[in-house]
Amino acid sequence: MTAGKVSQVIGSTFDAKFPEDHLPDIYNAVLIEADVKGNKVKVTGEVQQHLGGGRVRCVALGNTDGMRRGMEVTDTGKPLSVPVGKATLGRVFNVLGEAIDGRGPVDYDERWPIHRRPPLMEDLSPKAEVFETGIKVIDLLTPFVRGGKAGLFGGAGLGKTVILTELIARIASAHGGYSVFAGVGERTREGNDLWLEMQETKIGTTDRSVIEQTCMVFGQMNEPPGARLRVALSALTMAEWFRDATGADTLLFVDNIFRFSQAGSETSALLGRMPSAVGYQPTLGTELGELQERITSTKKGAITSVQAVYVPADDATDPAPATAFAHLDAFIYLERRISEKGIYPAIDPLASSSRLLDPQYVGQRHYNVARRVQQTLQRYRELQDIIAILGVDELSEDDKMVVHRARRIERFLSQPFLVAEVFTGKAGKITPLADTIRSFEEICDGKWDHLSEAAFMYVGAIEEAEEQYKKMQAEA
Amino acid sequence: MANRRLLVKRLKAVRNIRKITRTMELIATSRFKKAMDRATEAAEYTRKISEIVGDLGRANLKFSHPLLERRAEMKRSVLLVLTANRGLCGGYNASVLRQTLGHIRGLKESGIEYQIEVSGKRGIKFLNYQKVPIHKQYMTFEDQPSFADVDALGTRYIADFIAGRIDRLDVAYTQFVTSSKQFAVVESLLPIVGLGGVIETKSEAAVDYEFLPSAQEILAEIVPAAFRAKLFKCFLDSAVSEQIARMVAMKGATENADEMAGSLKQQYNRARQAGITSELAEIIGGAAALG
Repeated sequence: MTAGKVSQVIGSTFDAKFPEDHLPDIYNAVLIEADVKGNKVKVTGEVQQHLGGGRVRCVALGNTDGMRRGMEVTDTGKPLSVPVGKATLGRVFNVLGEAIDGRGPVDYDERWPIHRRPPLMEDLSPKAEVFETGIKVIDLLTPFVRGGKAGLFGGAGLGKTVILTELIARIASAHGGYSVFAGVGERTREGNDLWLEMQETKIGTTDRSVIEQTCMVFGQMNEPPGARLRVALSALTMAEWFRDATGADTLLFVDNIFRFSQAGSETSALLGRMPSAVGYQPTLGTELGELQERITSTKKGAITSVQAVYVPADDATDPAPATAFAHLDAFIYLERRISEKGIYPAIDPLASSSRLLDPQYVGQRHYNVARRVQQTLQRYRELQDIIAILGVDELSEDDKMVVHRARRIERFLSQPFLVAEVFTGKAGKITPLADTIRSFEEICDGKWDHLSEAAFMYVGAIEEAEEQYKKMQAEA
Repeated sequence: MANRRLLVKRLKAVRNIRKITRTMELIATSRFKKAMDRATEAAEYTRKISEIVGDLGRANLKFSHPLLERRAEMKRSVLLVLTANRGLCGGYNASVLRQTLGHIRGLKESGIEYQIEVSGKRGIKFLNYQKVPIHKQYMTFEDQPSFADVDALGTRYIADFIAGRIDRLDVAYTQFVTSSKQFAVVESLLPIVGLGGVIETKSEAAVDYEFLPSAQEILAEIVPAAFRAKLFKCFLDSAVSEQIARMVAMKGATENADEMAGSLKQQYNRARQAGITSELAEIIGGAAALG
């Protein structure tokens, strides 16, 4: 436990001077505890750079208000660690692993450091099994991988958080294993909503609420960049314990991974790194890679993760989402044009994809139906310019049919959500995969051409569209 | 902004389309004037004939003509569909064909045999696609149908009707009312229903005619003539309506293309400016970091 002194404070980073022969290692946690005119200042920092001359540069994981030069800094001698184990279930933590739900201290047996090596290549599990969600568009076009990673990409206000919450409600409530939720740089209110909702939602038919199998870690918008930069690692470490120690299937939800990159970019310049493309940190790829490579399934257990990724200014070529893209098995892109039509989930069926959409994993029939749906929609998109200029009457008869079906398919991709019942006034629908495939196949075959477009909005299987059509006709 | 080149490409395509639609609009306008003149002239003739026929009707004469005879049992009918050879005229063809399909359904329900005769490539293509058997097809009637061609058709229909090979003739076409009002109709031309039915007669003061050699003989001459005039008018109406429809459609298309080109240009400019700004920011940021 060597002690040093704060020599410089720059925003959310600070420098400390230590004896030359007792420098804290990089990634070690350092602690500042002091009283400034009756106000307690308690900040944990993480060593990032050795500057020479006994100085180290650290990122503050808490607020640096009240910090001043000359304050004493103690090296804890090890990286930041968080409590792990079953005691964390049902609790809410901050980046430092302190409980913030007001239910007293956590009775843990073990703490794990948040910086860990990703699993070895030989330990990885090569499984490729479909993870059914009951959401038509996801199951059909971007099937999730059990033990894989799925990303929800979308601009502001397209419903990333809603879809993520929906997935928690669908998967976690039907899921026997453990779940970990990481709130990274999103609204504190949303975290609170989720926490309350998890207490109400029951697991399957049992009487236990989802929160009892879940642990949550938050480092939201109000926290300094250092906290947002490390909170994903804290949550991931807890998830890793469930995977490695219990071997259970573990779910990891992250909202929002972009904020992790953003926090890195906020601290990067303060640490003295030269900004790279679009002002991001030059180490963007490394930082994200270190995090993403740890979210993986091993032979011991699986982590299935769903991550929301904010797309700044709806520009998917922005370096942060573009880097995240490469790490994912299933890729869901939310499109503003679709949400403008009032179709939710606003998933773009053409830009979204999944590694699993391959005949050898999902079967030939599923694959064919998915491809037909995509072809129809692709053709419709190509024709859109012509329709906009000349009108639909100028299309050939075949193309008219394509447009006719594509418009129905487009609407049929919408679905009422369990968590959105209060907004839509419709009960959430869980559609089994077999029904989904059959429904889309029949639409492509032209069996339901006679139904009006509106009948396809917000229903489950195709029979419900027919029912809705009859109801609408009866009312008209 | 990787999609800048894409925007330029789309912009070019839209501008090219606009050139075409604008040209077609101008061509349609000039053709419309010619077709309109012919239609008005023919309308004069048809009206006069109808007046005479109307006067005859009012003369309280006992007369009969095979073309006026309504058969008790309708068994065979012919449906003549008038569409355009070319597209790019908005809903012109589509609405005639919609009427046609509706009419065919009606014929099927009442169990009347039908033969379809179609003029215009668009109609032929559509009905082939719908797998409706086409008995005869014509592609020679352009926007200036000649009376001789139509007359040949008319003569055949008259002969067929009198010989009892057909009991009914319907024409699906676009009726021209004014230059801002046309609509697709299916009209029954044979048997001729009521003598005044060709066009509403307006002669208030009935003129007393002296018929020479006799009313019956004049009737034998004038009834087929009225039918031919009516049939020819269908063709002329269609031709005018087609040009109007094309004019309107192309005008709309040109406007749409303008609007689209505008918004694409705006998108492109914005993307270009964003690119410049971010490059500048990066250079300045880099320089500052190095300095």
